[in-house]
Amino acid sequence: MGGKEIFAVIAVLLLLLGCSGDGGAIELEGTEILEYEGQDLSSVNAFRENSIKGPQHIGIENYTLEVTGLVETPRTYTYDEAVGGFQAYKKVVTLDCVEGWSATILWEGFLLRDMLEDAGPNPEANTVILHAYDGYTTSFPLEYFYGEDILVAYKINNVTLPAERGYPFVLVAEAKWGYKWIKWITGIELSDDESYEGFWESRGYSDSGDLNESFFD
Amino acid sequence: MKASLIERAKLRGIVHWLLAIAVLLYIVSGFGITQYRAVEAVTFGVLTKELSFRLHGILFLPFIVLLAFHIYFTVLGRKRGKKGK
Repeated sequence: MGGKEIFAVIAVLLLLLGCSGDGGAIELEGTEILEYEGQDLSSVNAFRENSIKGPQHIGIENYTLEVTGLVETPRTYTYDEAVGGFQAYKKVVTLDCVEGWSATILWEGFLLRDMLEDAGPNPEANTVILHAYDGYTTSFPLEYFYGEDILVAYKINNVTLPAERGYPFVLVAEAKWGYKWIKWITGIELSDDESYEGFWESRGYSDSGDLNESFFD
Repeated sequence: MKASLIERAKLRGIVHWLLAIAVLLYIVSGFGITQYRAVEAVTFGVLTKELSFRLHGILFLPFIVLLAFHIYFTVLGRKRGKKGK
């Protein structure tokens, strides 16, 4: 086998390796459903792992979700308080990743808007900054959560969100690119800083993250 | 005639090498997207995910053009080889 052939074989192997999924099935608490009201769903394993520090395993006994910043009453919720304290909703939403893959999932959770209302946004608040356990952040205009029913999900395809998908909470940022779907949420901060840039946004990704636009600024 | 053949051989060599480089960059930038944590660490933060995306997008057209030339030269070379026999 000559040099050219060896190069070709290595190139093909690298291509296959680069295009393959993450492998390893995730252990779930229960059986996920793969169809909902006649609609086919993607598996929990259909996602690629592309978080900034790898999956975060959060101990729920010490976990709190804080709503801070420009609010009348800053709030701190335990996992049970957040899950049990708000009306639950189910919705099938497709996540589209900038890497080119997508996953259509049945999400279950509460509306972020309901949690914001519980804290009472101040009139000057116009931006919502979300913080994650791994230091990841992203932001949205406040009106995004009032114009759409945006979920903070704790269940995926009828099973509790696994750590790899953002347990305890992931934002179902409908009509936004995947990098806006922040996982392992620990904080919701209301701000008047419209120019705030999250982790990927400060590295050249679009602030709005709208699906119908390029994800580059 | 002979000079033209030498020029063509040179051009073929350049195209083949450029294609090899393009393939390599295409693969590396692909990894820079899907395995960005590792690639950023290996390249000391030079090849970021954002740069990889841009590189991967830019390389697509040159890759196709070079591949077309590569195939053209290879097929042409084989035809000439057969005629020579």
